[in-house]
Order: sequence, then structure tokens, then C-alpha cells
Amino acid sequence: MSIGHVEFAGVWKKFRYGEVHNRLRDFIPALAARATGLSRSAVRPPQDGLPEGEFWALRNVSFEVSAGEALGIIGPNGAGKSTVLKLLTRIFRPTFGKCGIRGRVGALIDVSAGFHPDLTGRENIFLQGAIMGMPKREIVSKFDEIVDFSGIPWFIDTPIKRYSSGMQARLGFAIAAHLDPDVLIIDEALAVGDAAFQRKAIDRVTELVRRDIPVVVVSHQLDTISSLCTQAIFLCRGRVDHAGTPGDCIAAYLRGIADADAPVVGEAAARINSLVQLGDVPVRSGEALLLELRGVVREEGWPATESIALRVRSALTGEVLFETSTLRLGVALPESGPFAVEAELQINVPPGMYTLESFVWDRMMERESFSGPRISVEVQGGKDFIGTVQMNPRMRLTADAPAARES
Amino acid sequence: MAAPSIPPYICSSPPAAQPHIPSPMPERDPIVPIVSAAAPEHDSNVLAAAGNHRLSVFADLREIAHDMLHFRELLIQITLRDIRIRYKQALMGIGWAVLTPLVVVLSGWVLRLAFARMSGEMVADQVLAEIAVKSLGWAFFVGALSFGTASITANLPLITKVYFPREILPLAAVLTQVVDVSIATIALGIALPFFGVGISAGLLWSPLLALLLVVLTTAATLLLSCLNVFFRDAKHLVQILLSFGIFFTPVFYAADAFGPGTARFVMLNPLAPVLEGMRLAVVVGHNLLVPLVIPSTGAVAWSPLYLAYSAIVGVGGLVASAVIFHRAEFVFAEYV
Repeated sequence: MSIGHVEFAGVWKKFRYGEVHNRLRDFIPALAARATGLSRSAVRPPQDGLPEGEFWALRNVSFEVSAGEALGIIGPNGAGKSTVLKLLTRIFRPTFGKCGIRGRVGALIDVSAGFHPDLTGRENIFLQGAIMGMPKREIVSKFDEIVDFSGIPWFIDTPIKRYSSGMQARLGFAIAAHLDPDVLIIDEALAVGDAAFQRKAIDRVTELVRRDIPVVVVSHQLDTISSLCTQAIFLCRGRVDHAGTPGDCIAAYLRGIADADAPVVGEAAARINSLVQLGDVPVRSGEALLLELRGVVREEGWPATESIALRVRSALTGEVLFETSTLRLGVALPESGPFAVEAELQINVPPGMYTLESFVWDRMMERESFSGPRISVEVQGGKDFIGTVQMNPRMRLTADAPAARES
Repeated sequence: MAAPSIPPYICSSPPAAQPHIPSPMPERDPIVPIVSAAAPEHDSNVLAAAGNHRLSVFADLREIAHDMLHFRELLIQITLRDIRIRYKQALMGIGWAVLTPLVVVLSGWVLRLAFARMSGEMVADQVLAEIAVKSLGWAFFVGALSFGTASITANLPLITKVYFPREILPLAAVLTQVVDVSIATIALGIALPFFGVGISAGLLWSPLLALLLVVLTTAATLLLSCLNVFFRDAKHLVQILLSFGIFFTPVFYAADAFGPGTARFVMLNPLAPVLEGMRLAVVVGHNLLVPLVIPSTGAVAWSPLYLAYSAIVGVGGLVASAVIFHRAEFVFAEYV
């Protein structure tokens, strides 16, 4: 049983905008200005409960990760993910609240930060190992394993400035991967080296994650989060926007992205005002996804080259899976005034999150003349789904085997 | 740069209230105890949140000692790194350890010989030996301070990406100089007999004086490396100190060189009693517990009180700068 534990309790972290006084030359006049009450910040009203020039990077963030749990942290850039990691690894201290880790921390973050270019691979293994908190004895005993994992044994006595960047990263990852931690923290460190090494790295990380220790993963690769993690939080502007299963958090995150992309009004003859999912929510893989589109055709009339279109994207990869339109399906729209279109899609896709986008397609100009609302759709399915397409399989026994052989 | 105004939040969660009372955060112990609701809090294991220090100096010092003990292997590795990179791909290799003090010694000799020629005196071999001994001490101070001041800012990627007690970086700079100066000391030990300096009981003082020199140097290095994080022009200040400090420190001259009664002013520089002590103990063979009065002039060239003063400044300075450094280090990553 692992002794590792991660706790983040009501953590607030404050940072400043702009430059701080970086020279004695600037500091002394600033000090004088403050002493005489001429400081600008004293005159301006505080914003958001803070003096001018300061902001909360994290606001009341709490979570806990115990042995056997893997927490994924997702969110847009600037949401506070890196700040959380730096607080966890004790590079920063919280302004309020408390955070702590029990046990030895293995951080797969910038795995070659401590390398010195003039030192050999061998010397750097000892240096980086010490920086990561490995006792020398342990490094000595794992040395061959680390070199073997990095896959560059013949370069081990060469200064690493002669290494390719991929080789450096591989060596760094190899050291970090042999830490034997009580708590594992991962930050996008999985994309290291070539395809073969990446596979090895992911296998190693998966093995570490399975070790019944607490794991914290920060990644923009949502499929990594959904495959590695048992729970997740969605951070937005320093707050925990959503906490729960990775699926829920990814859905909340993607919904946020969809909401942020407000519909664009173009030159189109029609506009789409709403896109809603009907029927079973969430829909099951292989069944019919029912949608309703509502909009208005403007008074100019409906040109034959424009149509109301739908696009399905994978939320994880952004890949376009399917597109269709009223024109393609031969659906005529009214000459003017409001309209409602019902759409049915056989959702033959693996379980997961998908984004549905509505838009007006101008076939003549070959462009999207109007971007309508987008929604996130969750597709559920059985556990035994293997592959990338739902084929709605059916099997039945037509005759028993011995009888078939006789006839 | 003007602060951008904060745009409205698009997140669904309602804005949380401002915090009221800063709650304590766990100690910096490598195995951070987590204070759960069930477990009683141990005051000794809890450090106040940023900007709210209620800890005593002793608690800080205990923490530093604990950190240094726990991270001693990292200290060794960083020191090894600094030594290795200095001698790798270098034309002179280990010769650098001897060259820097040698240049200081030679400058001292040139000055002394020039002045002697003007005043028509002879320069005794013993005087040359005295300059050599003191120059070595000065070279150590200069080397440690110039590498140590930049040690935090030079290791920027490490500071912002990995946690370890930041004291390690300036301490490694001092330790690197200790290794360098040890090599130079061996060279000096071989050279001294040629200047008529023999083995005397005064040599027994040298470990204590060397320790005091290390203490004074460490104090200055910790303080200035910390200052350099917040104010990048601190290194210019250090540059001035290192270039011209030698004129205000009795390296090329003796403390009583300005006439009777002036030694006490020269000795206000805390480095002066250490360097003068080294000269008197190693070269002259004087017992440092006894005051030294020059019979011809009546000048008090030495008093044990000088050494006591230097020791108080050294130990007090080390405690003060270690505590300042320790309390400031957790914001290094935000400032560098």
C-alpha cells in the first residue's frame, strides 16, 4: 500500500501583472515615492478586491488524490494548471490555503531541466538524479537500467551538448521514469523522442500509474486524460469549474469552448438560431441521434446554392467525421421566414464526446457563409466496443455444428 | 505596463468569496505532512503562509540544517558539476585553481617592490610570503562571491522547474572555491619554505582562521545571491566590491601600515583580522591570543579582540543572511 497522498485545500495564489522592480536603480525611487505617498498604486482603486497589478491565478482550488487514484487537470491556457503543478512540486507557495504531498514525488515535468550541456551523459544522470531526489546508491543500482531504457548506451560518455534534442529528452525521461515515486505528477511529458520511444514512454507511464499510487496528470491531450485518469477537474480562470469523472470534465471543457465560439453572422441568406438534441440524451452508439435546427430565411429569398449543413467532429481530436446538408439530402427550405429542420444521424461512432456544428454552406463560393450554434454530444456504448466504427453487429446461430457437417 | 482589466468570467461556477484568514501551509519538509481534519496539528511542522512569518530564527535555522542534511547529495552533485564544467574544455585545466591566486600574489609583489624602491627600503622574503598568504585568502573571497552572486540567476531553468532548497546553489559556489583554494594552498605550502617560512605552532591557528573566512564568505554570498534575484544590478555592486575591495583590505599592506593607532580602523573590515591573523600565525609564528605591539612605533598590530570581532560579525552575519535567504527563497521562482 502506497503512503503517497496529495492534498490541495482552499488554495489561493496571487501573481502580479507587469514588471516588478528589477533594479536597485528603480527600486529606490519607487520606495521614496511610496514613502512620500506619491505612489500610483495608492491612488488607483483596487480591482477585484486586489491592489492594481495583482490577480488571482488560483481561487479556492481544492482536491485530494489518494493511492490508486489518477486526477486529470484540464482547462484552457492560463487556467492555472501550471500554477497547480508548481504549487504541488513546492516551487511556489500558496498565498492562502494549504497544499501538500506525502511521499516521494516523481515529476515527469521538463525531465531534462537540470542537464548541463558540458557534462557527459553519465555525469548528467547523477546530477539529474540528485536534482530529482534520488540517493546516489539508488542511481548507481539503476544506472544500467536507465541507460538501457534511454537506448543510447554508446553515447553515455559523450557530453550531452553533442546529443540530438531527442536523445537528451530520452535520457531525461529515462531518469525520471526510474524514480520509483510515491506520488506521480505528469505534465505533457509523454511526447518524447520518436514513435518507438513514445510507445515505450507511454507504456512506462501507464505501468507507473497502475502502481496504486496517487497520480496527477496535466494535459491538453484529452484522450490521454480520459484513458489514464479515474477523476478530473476542469480549471477555468483559476477556479475549479467542474469536478468529477474525466468524461464529465472533458464535456464541460468542450462545452466551454463551443460557448466561447459565438455564432458568426455572415453574408448568408439564412441564419441558424438554435441547434438542440432531441430524443435520448445521451444517445447510445449505433442508434439514431435526433437534432432540431431552427432559423430564419431572410427576405432576399433563398438562393439555390446555399444550404443548411451539419458537421460532426470528434471532440478529442477535432477531426471531422461527417458532414451533410439540406441540399445534399434534397430538402427544400421556405423562400423566407422562420424554419425548423429535424435531422436524424445514425451515430455509428465509438462512445465518447462529439461536437456538432451547424452552418450555412455556400456551394457556389465554397465557403461557410454563416456559422451557427455548436453543441457537444455524448455518445454512450457498451464496454466491449473495440475499434473506431459502430457496425451494429448481430450474430445468430443458424444450425448446430454437427448437423451442418452431416448435410 | 498597465495592468489589463480583468474580463468577465465565462465559467459557470459562481465567484468564490475572498479568503478571510490565511491558513497555515505544511512545512517544507521533503516528506510534507498533510494536516487532515482528524490528525492533530503539530505546530512545529506547520509553516505560516507567504508573507506571514511567525517563526523564530531558531526554527528557520533548524529547517535550513535539516534541508542541507537531506539534500547533501544534491549539494555534492552541484558542486561536482561546477568543478567539472570549470575544468572541462579548458586550456589550463586544474591550473586555473593556482593561476588566479598567483596573479593576486604577483600584483601584490609588484606593488610592494615598487613602493620599496621609491622609499629606498629592502623587501624581505618574509614580506613576500606574507603577501602570498593573504592573497590566497582574498582570492578565495573574490572567487566565491563572484560565482556565488550569480548562482541563483544562472540556474534559472532549475529554479523555475524543480524544487530543492535554493541555499544549495550559493553554497555549492563557495564549496567549489574551497576545492580550488585547497589546490592553491598545497602549491603555497610547497613554495613557503623557499621564503624562509618554517613550520611553527602558529599553523595550528590556520584551520580556525580558514573556517572563519569560509563563514564570512558564505554570509556575504548568501546575502548577495539573494539580493541579485530581486535586483539584477546587485552584481554590478559586487563587481565594484571585488575590484576595489582589495585597497580597503590589508592584503598587500599590513593593518598597522598607516601608523600607530590606525590598525583598529583597518580592522573594522571583518576580513582584515582573518587575513592579518593568517599572516601573523603562519608566517610570523605569533600566538594570536597575545596582542602584538610593534616596539619601534608602539602601534598595536594585533589584538585577540580583533579576531573576536570578526568571529561575531561572521557568525552573526551568517545567521542573518541565512535567515533572510531562507525567508525569501520561496518567491525566487516568481521573481527570477
